[in-house]
Amino acid sequence: MRGEVAIVGYGRTPYSRAKPGEPVLNVDEYIAWAADLALQKAGMSKNDFDGQGLGVSHAEVAHTVNWSAATAENLGISPQVLLRADQGGASAASMLIRAAAMIHAGIVDRVLVVGADTPLNIPSVAPGLPLSPERTRGVYWDFQGPFGVMGASAQFALVQTRYMHEHALTSEQLGKIAVSARYHASLNPGAIYRKPFTLDEYMNSRMLSDPIRLLDCVPIVNGGLAYIVTSGKTARSITDKPVYLRGFGEINNYYHGSRALPDITTTGFVQSAPQAMKMAGVQHKDINFFQPYDDYPFIAMMTIEDFGFCNKGEGGRFVEEHDLSFNGDFPMSTDGGQLSGGQPGGAIGGFMPLVEAVTQLRGEAGVRQVKNANIGAACGFGGIPYGRPGRSCISLILGTEP
Amino acid sequence: MADLGQSKPLPDITDLTRPFWTAAKNGKLVLQKCQRCATFNFHPKPWCIECGSRELQWTAAKPSGTVYSYTVSRTVAMNSPAWAAEMPLILCLIDLDDGARLYGQVTGCRAEDIRIGMRVDVHFEDISDEAGIPKFRPALQPATAG
Ligand SMILES: [Zn+2]
Repeated sequence: MRGEVAIVGYGRTPYSRAKPGEPVLNVDEYIAWAADLALQKAGMSKNDFDGQGLGVSHAEVAHTVNWSAATAENLGISPQVLLRADQGGASAASMLIRAAAMIHAGIVDRVLVVGADTPLNIPSVAPGLPLSPERTRGVYWDFQGPFGVMGASAQFALVQTRYMHEHALTSEQLGKIAVSARYHASLNPGAIYRKPFTLDEYMNSRMLSDPIRLLDCVPIVNGGLAYIVTSGKTARSITDKPVYLRGFGEINNYYHGSRALPDITTTGFVQSAPQAMKMAGVQHKDINFFQPYDDYPFIAMMTIEDFGFCNKGEGGRFVEEHDLSFNGDFPMSTDGGQLSGGQPGGAIGGFMPLVEAVTQLRGEAGVRQVKNANIGAACGFGGIPYGRPGRSCISLILGTEP
Repeated sequence: MADLGQSKPLPDITDLTRPFWTAAKNGKLVLQKCQRCATFNFHPKPWCIECGSRELQWTAAKPSGTVYSYTVSRTVAMNSPAWAAEMPLILCLIDLDDGARLYGQVTGCRAEDIRIGMRVDVHFEDISDEAGIPKFRPALQPATAG
C-alpha cells in the first residue's frame, strides 16, 4: 500500500482559550470551520464527499449518539462510509490508516476527516478536570480519582521518575524541547503561546508533580482540524503537491514485558515505528523532520528514542546534541507542537503532528519551513492506560513522492 | 456524578468491584486471582489479562510491596479540589509482593525521603460507609532477600 493514497488538503482553525469576551463556538462549528479550510486548500466542495467517506474523531464535549452520522447531517454530506476513532491523540492517525485501507479496497476514493473539541466549554472543577462523564465515571476513574491520581501530569511524572531511575536524563535536556517548541510557536501565528522563554525560565517554572513542571504541560484550547485523503490518482488530478502516505505502523495496548508488571519506560513506538519505516522503505537518515505527539517534553523524548533515532536511554543526550529547530539538524515539532500551540482536547491534539507534517511537505510552512523537506515522520499517541504511558502508538511516514 | 468540588471522589461501586472496596473497609487487601494461571490482576478486570480465563477469584494478597516509581503532587489537577489540604501528596506505583501493580498514596514519609525500591506496607483509610482504600507507608522492617 506504499504511496497509494495522498493527503490533498488540511485545515487548522485558530484556537481559543475561551477568555471572557471571545466568541464561544461549539464543536460542530469548529468541525465545519476546519473542514471548510481543508476543502478550500484542496479545491473541493462538500458535495465531493457524497457517496465517499467521512471520518469523525472522538471528542470529549457532550455529543449525540451516532455522532459521526450526526456530523454528516450537520455538514449536509451523505457519505457511503463513516469512520469514527476513539483512540484519543491517535485518532487522526488511525483514521488515516483506516481511510487508506478503504481506498485501497476500492470501497471509496476519498475521505474527509474532521476533529474538533471544546474542552473549555465544559464546566470544570479543577485544572484539566471538565465534568464529562468519561473523566469522572467508570472503573478507570474509580481506581484513580479516589487514589489521589492528579491526572496526566502525575501519571506521566511516575513514568518519568522511573525512566530517570533507569537512564540518564536531565531536566535541562527536556527543557530544551520545551524551549524549542516555544521558539517554533513564535514563528507560527496559529500557536496559542508565542512569547519565547529561556531554559532558565523553564527550570524555574513551578513544580506541579515532581519532576513535571508547569512549562512541561500542554495548554488546553478549543479548536478544530481536518484533512482530506484521496487515492493517488485523484490526488494527482487535483493538486501538484500531494503528500503521500508511504508507511504506517500501529499498536494498541502495548506492554513492554509482562502484563502485570510491565516496563513502563518503553512505548509501543518500538513496534509501530519499524513497521512504518519498513513499509515506507526509509531509514532514519532519510527522514527530514519529526513531528511527535508532544503533550509533554518527556513523551516527545521517549518517542524519539522508541522511534529509533537513538538507542534506548540515550534520548536525553540526543536532544542535547541536536538542534531541534526547523533549520537545525533534527527539526522537530516545527509548528510549536501542542506544548506551545495548544491542545484542542486530548483527541484532537493528535491531528497537529499530521497536519504540520503535510504543511511542511507541501512547502507551506512559511518562516518555519524546513528546507528540502521530502520525507517526514509524524506520530499519534492516544490515551493513558492504568499505570502505563500510552494506549495507542501510531507511526506515519509521509513523503512528497509515492 | 459525585460533587467533586466538596469532597474527594468516591467510586461507583458495582458487583464487579464491591469485594475490593468491602475488604478494604475491613482492613484487608484482596485482588482478583486467576484460577487457571495464578496471575493477580489490578484493577478489576472481566477476565484474566494474561490467559483470558473468566475464573477470577477475590484472594487475599500479601499486604506489602516495593515502590516502582513515585511523584510528589504539589497542586490539584484533574481531581477534586478537596485533595488540596493533603498537598504535597506522594503518589506511587507500588509493585505488590504478589505481583500486581497499583497506584497508591504513601503516607508517613517526607516528600524528600521517598525512593524507588522503598519497601512499603499497606494500611487502609475509610472513605465511605461502604468503602475503604489501601494506602502505603514505609515498612518497619528492612527488606528481606529478594
Ligand atoms: Zn490467567
